[in-house]
Order: sequence, then structure tokens, then C-alpha cells
Amino acid sequence: MISHRDSNAQRIAALDERAEALKLKRGMGIADARAMHPSIDVVEADAEADRRLLEGLADWCDRYTPLVAIDGEDGLFLDVTGCTHLFGGERAMQDEILTRFFQQGFDVRAGLASTPGAAWAAARFHGDRIVAGGEEEALIAPLPLSALRIAPETRASLESVGLRTAGAVMTAPRAPLARRFGATLLLRLDQALGRLDEAVSPRLPVAPLSVERHLAEPIVLTDDIERLVSRLAVALKTDLERRGEGARALALLLFRVDGAVSRIAVGTSRPMREPQLIQKLFHERLTAQEQDIDAGFGFDLVRLSVLSVAAFDMLQGDLAGEASDDDADIALFADRIRARLGEAAVLKPVVVESHLPERAITTVPFSEAPQRRMPPKQSDRATPPMTIHPPERPVRLFRSPEPIEVPATEIPEGPPMNFCWRRALYRVASAEGPERIAAEWWRQLPGEEETPTRDYYRIEDSEGRRYWLYRQGLYSSASQTAPRWFMHGVFA
Amino acid sequence: MLPEVNVMAMNAVARDTVFALRRQIAKIEGTLPERLEAPAPAPRAIPGKVRSGFPSGIAEKQILKADPQFYEKPNRSSDAARSDITVVRRGLAVASPDAFLHTGVERLDAALGGGLPKAALSEIHGLETRDAGAVAGFALSLISLILREKQGLPVLWIGTAEIFREAGYPYARGLHALFGVEPEQLLFSEAPKLLDALWIAEEAARMTALAAVILEIRGSSRLLDLTATRRLHARAQSASRPVFLLRQAGEAEPTAAPVRLIVSAAPAASRETVAGPLAGSIGRPAFTVDIGKSRTALPGQFTLEWNPDEHAFAERRPQEERATNSVAMVPVPLRGADPAPASGAVLAFPAIASPAPGDQPSRQQRPAHRSPRRAG
Repeated sequence: MISHRDSNAQRIAALDERAEALKLKRGMGIADARAMHPSIDVVEADAEADRRLLEGLADWCDRYTPLVAIDGEDGLFLDVTGCTHLFGGERAMQDEILTRFFQQGFDVRAGLASTPGAAWAAARFHGDRIVAGGEEEALIAPLPLSALRIAPETRASLESVGLRTAGAVMTAPRAPLARRFGATLLLRLDQALGRLDEAVSPRLPVAPLSVERHLAEPIVLTDDIERLVSRLAVALKTDLERRGEGARALALLLFRVDGAVSRIAVGTSRPMREPQLIQKLFHERLTAQEQDIDAGFGFDLVRLSVLSVAAFDMLQGDLAGEASDDDADIALFADRIRARLGEAAVLKPVVVESHLPERAITTVPFSEAPQRRMPPKQSDRATPPMTIHPPERPVRLFRSPEPIEVPATEIPEGPPMNFCWRRALYRVASAEGPERIAAEWWRQLPGEEETPTRDYYRIEDSEGRRYWLYRQGLYSSASQTAPRWFMHGVFA
Repeated sequence: MLPEVNVMAMNAVARDTVFALRRQIAKIEGTLPERLEAPAPAPRAIPGKVRSGFPSGIAEKQILKADPQFYEKPNRSSDAARSDITVVRRGLAVASPDAFLHTGVERLDAALGGGLPKAALSEIHGLETRDAGAVAGFALSLISLILREKQGLPVLWIGTAEIFREAGYPYARGLHALFGVEPEQLLFSEAPKLLDALWIAEEAARMTALAAVILEIRGSSRLLDLTATRRLHARAQSASRPVFLLRQAGEAEPTAAPVRLIVSAAPAASRETVAGPLAGSIGRPAFTVDIGKSRTALPGQFTLEWNPDEHAFAERRPQEERATNSVAMVPVPLRGADPAPASGAVLAFPAIASPAPGDQPSRQQRPAHRSPRRAG
């Protein structure tokens, strides 16, 4: 028996058959139930776990159709349009689903109809029924109002005026119903009867392309999975070629015999359709996730889906037969690293117009970096030398400037004479500067306190190492806070 | 007469032993030694190390004796300065001059036997993490030399999260200004663990679409042992692309890399202006380069200066320094309170750094020319 807390009292949320046989009911207080039967076993409800279970089941149902939606706390919608013939017809499909759920230990009721509303009612009030097109009215008319998926308050007020079955509502005049009970009632009714379309919004985006293979003998080994991936990718290639597209994101779904589903997704930097390359990407991903994927008793269905596609630009090879495309090599390399180590494994610097050193370069993941169309311009020796030298910038920059201690400076606003960084004392041999970099006022929010300016110095210590320090703020009698010093970078 | 013969015999025995040892090392590292050279007489002596300057005839004979079956030809260049260098090329790889990256500094190129091998793993060490700027700068300047030939190819920089946190993240603006590496050419890869970084490096090392690969790690690790470096080296060789292994604050460990350089920062010279050196300014980046390991040479030390405009190295010799800056290379700042006492004497080679004060680790292999800089 499972209890949950409802308006400050523990009540029965769900109960098994034996408890039902003891005349216990849902909604009954736990205290009352214990008084009747002191030996009952009560477990606290865990809505989160229930949700996870339902999602797991939804994943598993993915093997029947890609359009699976979760309905409330205890229902699943499967849009099986165009899928039934794969399983031998509607009856056979429903039987198989019910059998499989039963074998997994679930008590499931199913209904199949042309509209989601009718299927919902059939599953809940008939159990295992297939409603042919056009029979929805006959199915729903004798059912109580709760078969219409309406709010309990609406239902109660309908019952209070004597409309106790769905059939009674159907025969009643529509305009007064809509005026009194709101548009939802008629909407639900029309949806159930097929007068209005109702879309089942699937839980996962529907893949434009997917290929799958049912296996008589479940596979366990990673090598077998990889081999299967390459075979599926071969099948995928023809479809992609016909559409003139390449895959940008791929997902591999592994359906385990006992119902668990593993989902492995990889992204590509460029549209891809070559089976070997696809297999390589999944190889990296499977290697990285080897511990996470529990094969258990094996997988009996493997599906490879293309989640997103992009136009595939064909490259013409030269006459020697080799199209040397270095960028493609690098893109593939980056994809493999990304498949193994995550999105941010390969980064590309991007120049930003900014004076602040830390903003002037940002790094973006390789796949998001703008594609280089033109070859980079010749080194700047070809261009005439600039008369004004740009200020020198370090070769390494600390992600966050590190505070340093500066005991003394020669003149108040001059470079430090020595400084303490990472618990070591450095003596300044020579210094250049300051280069004053002010905060970017146009990026400040109104009302925000103004960030102090920074005075940057190039410092060479007594050992010949060169650093980039800055003083934040100015020495002045007006401000209470003393300026602080930071280490921001290292020169070559 | 007799003593001389004795000396010659002893030298012969010594050379035999050296060659035998080298063969053994090469065997352990999985490669055959490509070149063996009797180094030229050193331009300056290195204490503690013996620089052998044999008369050419003897050297030739000894090598003949040492390894007759592999012996091909003595490369007698007409260059007078190199007349006593004997080159033995062995069966497998006859190194073509194109196989080496010429640093442009003659003495360093000669000491390395032609330059840094292009298709190989090269180790560049920094003794402390705070040298990371100099080490990275030196590696990037080598890459800048490589990019002269391979315009536009990208450079991949792999580092562990630790090194990027401790030593700073590569800053593309600075790299562009100093070394002419365009930001679009750079790729960074930050691996959470050394194992991942090694995997990325191995994958990258065999790509011909990259101009060069930098793998940067901090400290010593058992993961990066002889086998791991050999794998990297083999892949770099087959792709004929250089892989630079930057090890910050690491011990010198067994490695399959043919060359290991130890780089630290050297004090920069003043900026040159029309009116002469600008006092108190910090000029071009300078590095002190020690040859830690090389098949072809004995250890040596060089001070190189990188010219960001020409994208070329220039060597700074201590004699020239003394000639141009008779007092001190960088004038003492006018602030005055420089705590270092004036030493006055220019010591060519301090044996070992004096114990450092406080919690500062003592520095090995301190460059020689640094001491006079403090002088008043």
C-alpha cells in the first residue's frame, strides 16, 4: 500500500489487490486503515520515482512508434498511425504490447481508437478494446462523464444539473453548455468524437530518419553494437543521399530485453553520411560511456536515428582522385574528441571587439565556430608595417586575475618595486607602463557601481620572467578603499 | 710517444663505450640512432662536461672501428669550421636536410645536428610553473617558423585543466602579435585528466591536417612514460608533423623524444630606438635554452631572442652583451632600492644555484649571464 500526504493527512494513494480485498479504498486515511487492519504495510509515495518509471516506459514504447507522449501521472499515448502493419495489424500489436508489459510485471490497460480521447476512454473504461473508426460515439455515449477528460469541478456541476453520462452531454444543446461550463467541455467532446483534431505532442522530437534492426538473439558486446551501427549507417546513407542531406546529430537507441532503453547521441560539426565515420563517432562515445551502459541480458532492438540534418555539399575531387580537405579531417577529429570528452573538449578562439583583455578573446566550441571560408591572409610581413604598434599582449592569460600583494611602489601610481604572488616574492627589475584600460561603461547596467579602471604594467622580475600586472583603482584620499593589484598574464 | 698512444687508446675505448651506450639507448627507445657526430670544439667550455675535440683522423678511425658495418661515409664538409665533424648515417633513416627545422641560430642548429627534427616528438621543459610563459613562447616561436612553410594550417594546443589553471590559458591576441599565429588557426583542447589529454594528443599526432601539436602538462606522471612518448613519437614520425611536449615543473624522465630542451626566461634587452637603447624598457622576448637531451650533441646553453617582426631567432652571446652593455644589460631602475648587491664579476658558469631563500625552490641550471644584470 502506498500513502501520500494530502491536506495534512496521510491518505492511501494506491493499493494492491490484497489490500483491495480487505475493503480498503483510495483516499482513505491511513489512520483509519490501520485501525481496520493493523498489519498493513504502508510505503510513502514517491512522485519523482513514479515519473521516472513512466518515462522509462515511454522510452521503451519508443520501439513501437516514435510518437510517444506522457499523459498525466499514469498514462501513455502512442500514436501508432502507420506503424501497425509492422507488428501484424492493430490487434496483434495491442496484444504484443499488453503481453510484453505483463511479462515485465505491469498491470496495463490499453485502448486503440482513431482519436486520442476515444482511446483514452476505451483504455480506462473497457480495457483491451479496439474501436473502429466511426464507432467513437457509440463507445463514449454510455460512459460516465469522467470518460471525457474534464476537470472534476466541471464534472460535479454537470452532474448537479442531471447530466450524468457522456451521451446526455452530447444530446444537450451546445450553446448553453459552452456558456455555462466553458469551452473545454465541448472541445474535449469534439476531440473524442473526431470532429476536431487533437495532436499528441511527443515527448522526444521525431527523428527525420531512423533505421532499426530487431534481433532474434540479443547482443551484449560493444563490438557487436558497433558493427550493427555501421550496418545501420549504410542503410541510412542511401536515404540521406536521396534527400541530398547529411546528418548533424545522430542518436543510437539500445532497447534492452528487460525494457531499459539507453540513448547515445553524437553531434557532428559538418553534415556527415559516411558509414565508417558515423561508426567512428559512436565508437568514441561507446568507449567513453562503457561503464554507463549496462547491457544486462542484451539488447534486442537497435535503432539509429538522425536527429537533425543539413544540406550536404558535395565536393568534387581532383583528377588524381583525392580531394584533400583538411578542414573535413579536422572537423571529424573534433567530432571524435567531442563524442568522447564532451561539448567543450575542442575550443576555438574568436576575436571580439573589446578593450578588456579577458573579453577580447572568447572561446567557443569547435562545432559552433564560424566556418573559415577564406584562407587566412598572408602573414603580416606582406602588409606594410603599421606605424603605431599595438599594445603588447601576454601569451598566457589567467582566467581570473590572481590577487597579488604589493608592499610598496616608488611613486603612488607607479609600478611596484616587488610583489608577492603565490607565496613567493618577486623583485621587479624593470617595468613598462602604465596602460590604462577603463571598464566598458556601455555594458554597465544603470545603477550598477562603476568598476574601477585598471593600470597595466609590463614587469620583468630579477630572473628575467615577464608578467602583466594591473592595479585596480587609483590612490586617492577621496576613496576609502585602497587599490588592489592583480596578476593577469605572463609574457613570453 | 708512448703516453700519446696511451691517450689515443683510452680515447678509443671511451668512444667505443659511448657508442655502445648510445646504441643501447636507441634500442631501448625503439629507434636506431640516425646520426652520430663528434661535436665540434665547443665555442665555450662547459664545466663538468667534457667536450671532446678529436683531430678528425682519429675520430674517423675510431668510428670505423666502433661500427664498421653501418659506417657509410665520413661527411667531410669543406667548411673549415666543421671540418672535424664526422657523421655516421645508419641504415634506416638517412636524414635529409629537409627533415630538420632550422632555428636560424647557427650554433644551436649545429649543436642539434642540423636543427630540431620536424617529424618527431620534441620535449620542451620548464623547470618551474612560472616559466610557463617562456616555455610556451619558445614553442610558439618554433611553430611560427614551421608555419612559414605550412601557411594556414591549424595548430592544436592540448593541455590539462591543471596547467591551464596554474599557468594561464593561451591568449590568442598575444600569440598573434608575437608569433603571427592567427586566432582562426588555433585550436585549444582542455582535457580534465592527463589520460584524456594523452588520448587527444595521440589522435592529433597522426593528423596531417595540423601544422603542429602542442601537448602541455604539469609535473611528472607515470602515464607519460617511455612507452607513451614512444607512441607519440611514432605517430609524429608517420604523419611527419612535429609534436611538442611541454612539461612544466617536471623532472627529466626517460623519453623517446630525440630532443629535450630546457627553456627558461632570459632578461630582455632594452628596446631599440633611433637614439639607441631605451633605458628601462623591456624589449623582445628572450629565452635561455639548454639542450637537455640530444642524440647528436653534448649539452649546451644558448640565449635566444625572438624577433616578433621578422619572426626569427637571433642569438645573444655573452661576449656581445658585454661589448654593447658594458655595465648592465638593463639599467637599474631609478627607484634605487634594488636589494641585490652588486657582484661586478661576470661568472661564466655558476656551478649550482645557491640555496634559495625561504620557500623558493632552488633552481638548477641557472643561466650564466643572469648574475651581472643585478649589478649596479
